[in-house]
Amino acid sequence: MSKAVGIDLGTTNSVVAVIDRDGAPRILTTEEGSTTLPSLVWFSPRGPIVGEAAREGLDESPDLTIFGAKRLLGRRFDHPEIKKLARILPYELTEAPNGDTWIQLAAGRAVSPEEVSALILRELKRTAERFLKASVTRAVITIPAWYDAAQRQATKDAAAIAGLQVIRLISEPTAAALGHGAHRGADRRYLVCDLGGGTFDVAAVDVEAGVFEVLATTGDPFLGGDDVDRAVVEHLVRDVRQTRGIDVSTDAFAIEKLRLAAQRAKHELSDHANATVTVAGLAELPSGKLVDYARPVRRDELELWSSPLVKRLETPVKEAMRRCGRKREEIEEVLLVGGSTRMPAVKKELARITGREPSVIPNPEEVVAIGAALEVARLDGTIEGVLLIDVTARGLSMSVQSGECEMVIAQSAVVPTREHRLLATRTDEQARLEFDVWEGESPDPSQNRHLGRYAIVDLPAAAAGDVLCLVEVTIDTDGVVRLGVTEMVSGERLTLEQIFHAGLARAEVTRLAKQLEAQ
Amino acid sequence: MAARTLHVRCATWDQVETFTKRKLRKGRLLSMKVPFQAKVGSPVTLGLELPNEMVIAIDGTILRASPVEGDPQRMWIEVDLSGLTEDVLARIKHLAANPNDDAETDPQIPVPAAPTRRSSVMNAVGEELPADERELFQQLSSELRRMRTAAVHEVLGVPREPTPEQLRAGWKAHIRRHHPDLVARRGAPAITHLAEELTILGNRAYDRLRVALLTEGKGIKAGSMIATPPGWLVGFEDIQSGDATPVPKASPRRFERPPTPQPVAPQPPPAAPSDGAEAFEHRARAQLRTGDANAAREVLAAALVIYPRSKPLRSMYYVATAVAALQEGEVVLATSQLETALAHHDQCIEASRLLDCVRRTGMATPDQLKRVFT
Repeated sequence: MSKAVGIDLGTTNSVVAVIDRDGAPRILTTEEGSTTLPSLVWFSPRGPIVGEAAREGLDESPDLTIFGAKRLLGRRFDHPEIKKLARILPYELTEAPNGDTWIQLAAGRAVSPEEVSALILRELKRTAERFLKASVTRAVITIPAWYDAAQRQATKDAAAIAGLQVIRLISEPTAAALGHGAHRGADRRYLVCDLGGGTFDVAAVDVEAGVFEVLATTGDPFLGGDDVDRAVVEHLVRDVRQTRGIDVSTDAFAIEKLRLAAQRAKHELSDHANATVTVAGLAELPSGKLVDYARPVRRDELELWSSPLVKRLETPVKEAMRRCGRKREEIEEVLLVGGSTRMPAVKKELARITGREPSVIPNPEEVVAIGAALEVARLDGTIEGVLLIDVTARGLSMSVQSGECEMVIAQSAVVPTREHRLLATRTDEQARLEFDVWEGESPDPSQNRHLGRYAIVDLPAAAAGDVLCLVEVTIDTDGVVRLGVTEMVSGERLTLEQIFHAGLARAEVTRLAKQLEAQ
Repeated sequence: MAARTLHVRCATWDQVETFTKRKLRKGRLLSMKVPFQAKVGSPVTLGLELPNEMVIAIDGTILRASPVEGDPQRMWIEVDLSGLTEDVLARIKHLAANPNDDAETDPQIPVPAAPTRRSSVMNAVGEELPADERELFQQLSSELRRMRTAAVHEVLGVPREPTPEQLRAGWKAHIRRHHPDLVARRGAPAITHLAEELTILGNRAYDRLRVALLTEGKGIKAGSMIATPPGWLVGFEDIQSGDATPVPKASPRRFERPPTPQPVAPQPPPAAPSDGAEAFEHRARAQLRTGDANAAREVLAAALVIYPRSKPLRSMYYVATAVAALQEGEVVLATSQLETALAHHDQCIEASRLLDCVRRTGMATPDQLKRVFT
């Protein structure tokens, strides 16, 4: 069997881990010697450049350097958060024919976030192949727990383009608990808080005799370290205007430089009370003279600027505890995962909300990837006696002929699961029956995420209401939705035609995979 | 290496006939695409699933194998089914003619006896699963067949009205035995599929019983966010030519009928029905009240010959079938019958009440039946 790896595909940084020959998980280092690969792709004139080397692109051509593609993955272009992002990102977003969000690189050239993620995954795959000296074709990839079916499928598609078969998608909090070694310790009730570069995840995970049970997952898909950077940049832009009299708010290059400097200062402030933001050549005066910028930043300033963001941590944590019916006292351990939990303000706020001192993990950036590698070992049978049980983050609904949505699968149902609905024809001799599938539980379709429109074709000719179709909706262990239709009278499987669906088409994934392989 | 198992599912007896007559060359050569790298000469076992959910294991050898273009994961193979003897073919034909024939009496088809329920919770994960792939395949498919017709509490091996602790222990034992991850390392898609189906049954049973416990106020702490699914969905409006004014949605009312009595306060029986179809319906309902489902079905079947387009009659027929199934303890069958009843006629109060009751408690006592059919 070919080699498999565990991958933490992050918003800002990605990590790859394998199980060593001695059975221990091991984080692999990039060619530059770093354990994390920046999730950056620079579509340079010489071809796409990934990782640390692409940082150059941030300075040189920010409009062609894609960061944070994970936030765009499997998202509709008309999503309000995407609209907000489109205004602040240095690269341009565009709407794909099926309503997905794509990235416009140049006139007539757009790439899907799947392709960008595929390039990052391929780089991680190469890193692993260099280390293992063997081809790597299978992977466990971690995803935020709140990912909807379209985003899960998009992650799988990205892996397929990179030439990786996904053996399992596991939620980051579960991976973190696994990576933390929860399966070796005593039975515990964990609350995992994962604040990464772009997202915040909370999960209540019970570990009992080797069985990991995710009781509830919540999160904020648009809250992370990047948002802290942006908040700092906003203040810096104001400061530049006040002290230097220059408005850099419309200068994408200057903003990007400020963002990098702000990020460095933020990291420094996790361990020190003071840091300095320095940018050489921030802007050009009409005279052609370059303006340098330097400003000392104190930790309390950073905490003040980021306080609106830190306050947003509370709702998802409370919601997670409410969903699993737990009181704060019943949580036995709080795990902090993700680089942004290094911020003292975040640690303090989470300790306040949960009412207990969180466990300190020495490597909050890497623990998720270690969990993914352990998951590989678990599925291969090297680790025995451990089971992961997951629940749906959102319900699933169906609607017929643009009517109201009706819930099919409830939120927090244990996966894999299946439910069915009966659909009957409305007119005599009806040959097609169309229905929509939504993620979300609201009866109002506009409140839910549209996953796809399907048509049952080749219905047998009969009077209205005499043809009954049994639509079976299955959510598999990866959280991906599958559909099947049976005609009730004959018991025959009917053909399901996909009129619209979110994400890339199967043929497109195959074509892109071939194209990338040829590169 | 143990023989690989290939799963072929035939949903109808026509498909079985197509398979044995047309799909096979020279009566026993089968070509198919498989999702693994096959070696010429290696043994395989074909698991032929018949429409009655019985699985027949047929031994064979791979004669030829060639890669599928553009898909390195799959291969075309040709299998010589040496196990497909005249006896087996005759058996399949016999089954096609008598689909309800009891298979377990036939020595040709080895079906392991259903494992006895353990009262204690198992400790080790994946314990008691046979190592041989073919044996495992047969065990899992027979277990799946048994569980598909079992009531929800039987699937999890818990009492009819379990305590939250019993329910959780039963569900965990089920998961520890059947989760697809436990067989993932074998790399056999057919077995993973069976394990997934078994897990789905267990998870659904757990969800149903959990909701039942919550509604009865014996709530459990974990995962309290499960809401009762709103029955089902129908795709057609009521088209009744005689009814000129559409019935407003806000006041659901069955057409050609007096207002429906409230479930809590039983009212005197409605006045003598004026319509012929309704007379039958009335009789059937009285029979169902006393639990005589078979008599009700006969009455309704006779009525449907006279009034084939009457939706209340059609749906009542399915309700009667469901009551009969409930008396046999076949909750899954009953649920599907009730859903069908509602799909035919969404105003059928009895069907929605009974479905509600079954979903909540996984059963219907004679008392509850009496209340449903007042």
